[in-house]
Amino acid sequence: MSKAEILKALRQHPFTHDMEEAWKESLAEIAQLQTYAPDTLLLREGRAADAFFLIVDGLVAIEMFIPGQGAIRLQTVSAGEIVGWSWALPPYRWEFDARALVETTAVVLDAAPLRARMSQDCALAAWILSRLLAVVAGRLKAARLQLLDLYAPPERRPA
Amino acid sequence: MIPQAISRAPDLFLPRPFQITGVRRETPDTVTLRLRSLQGDPFSFQPGQFNMLYLFGVGEVPISISGVHPKTRDLEHTVRAVGSVTRALVRLRKGHIVGLRGPFGRGWPLEEARGRDILILAGGIGLAPLRPVLQSLMAHRRDYEQIVLLYGARTPADLLYPTELERWRGRLDLQVFITVDRGDEAWRGHIGVVTTLLPMAERFLDLRQAIILMCGPEVMMRVAARELENRGASPEQIFLSLERNMKCAVGFCGHCQFGPAFICRDGPVFPLSQVRSLLEVREL
Repeated sequence: MSKAEILKALRQHPFTHDMEEAWKESLAEIAQLQTYAPDTLLLREGRAADAFFLIVDGLVAIEMFIPGQGAIRLQTVSAGEIVGWSWALPPYRWEFDARALVETTAVVLDAAPLRARMSQDCALAAWILSRLLAVVAGRLKAARLQLLDLYAPPERRPA
Repeated sequence: MIPQAISRAPDLFLPRPFQITGVRRETPDTVTLRLRSLQGDPFSFQPGQFNMLYLFGVGEVPISISGVHPKTRDLEHTVRAVGSVTRALVRLRKGHIVGLRGPFGRGWPLEEARGRDILILAGGIGLAPLRPVLQSLMAHRRDYEQIVLLYGARTPADLLYPTELERWRGRLDLQVFITVDRGDEAWRGHIGVVTTLLPMAERFLDLRQAIILMCGPEVMMRVAARELENRGASPEQIFLSLERNMKCAVGFCGHCQFGPAFICRDGPVFPLSQVRSLLEVREL
């Protein structure tokens, strides 16, 4: 995969499209464009959070494995969104599983050099973390709404 | 001088007998009743209007008109069992008789939407009052630009009108995105609240220009309205269908008063610009 193709993907992806060009070029050096077959695990709970996924195409489920029940899908993430922020927070371990539900393409940034670049460049770190915070806030809001179980019969909604 | 509404009162308050010509189970607690007038009188309505369905000896409830049967032209009402009257309504069978008053209220602004992009955003049973919109849009498809339906349900088993959803998804001139709060093993689609589908709608239409029609739980609509405004939509473009305790259906009794408006008479469809501040009043 050429750097030019990765740069093109970074320029088009909503997370990075308005990022400074020099930063995009820097990130392209530590990125790969990966395609995952349906049912492939992108990341697994407890393993090292060593990558940051910008979903270019496809659909990814965030899951948690429950013994006796299997993988419970909590949320899906589609093209234009991101998967994974545990790479930004010590101890850098995934908290959930993420599985491609259909063939999925992602720009995969290598977390260790990404963290190194962010520690050397505070502006880059602030830019990425503020974008990440907006994503986290959106997911938290969505999760809270799901908890309300709004479509349940009134007597079965949480008090 | 007697106000026109009062002079019409005997008609407005008199239920007309309608026979159930079919019952389709949508979900474990929701059915669609097909109704035909026993008096044979013609019935016309605007998408978004509602009828009062009277189950003799039990009570009367407001139910949105959810469409007309394509072949028989019978009226359809999708009813979810949530109270004593609706629990009795969903147990009715073909041949039973109900009383019907209506249609009442102000429907969706389809004339205003002509020539524009349309985003339909539905949650749960909120798809029911929007189904006649889709039927009308599909019947006059060339009059509108891009049409996108975003639909959220609790689980895959709770999706209303699965056959029609499948047919709509197969159309090239209608974009349909569906999400559920909880998936199951067989579900390979989106999981999450309906607002997470908005970026997909933006691939096909400009939220700053589109007419946006929304129906679902009020919390969902409040959150979705905020998200739509964050993405550039103005309150004048956003229309929502509200629900309160409607009784008389003609603005006499005051049960459904919502600030200066009566939901039954002035709604149930309102532009967000008219009701946004009221949605924030917790006592209403």
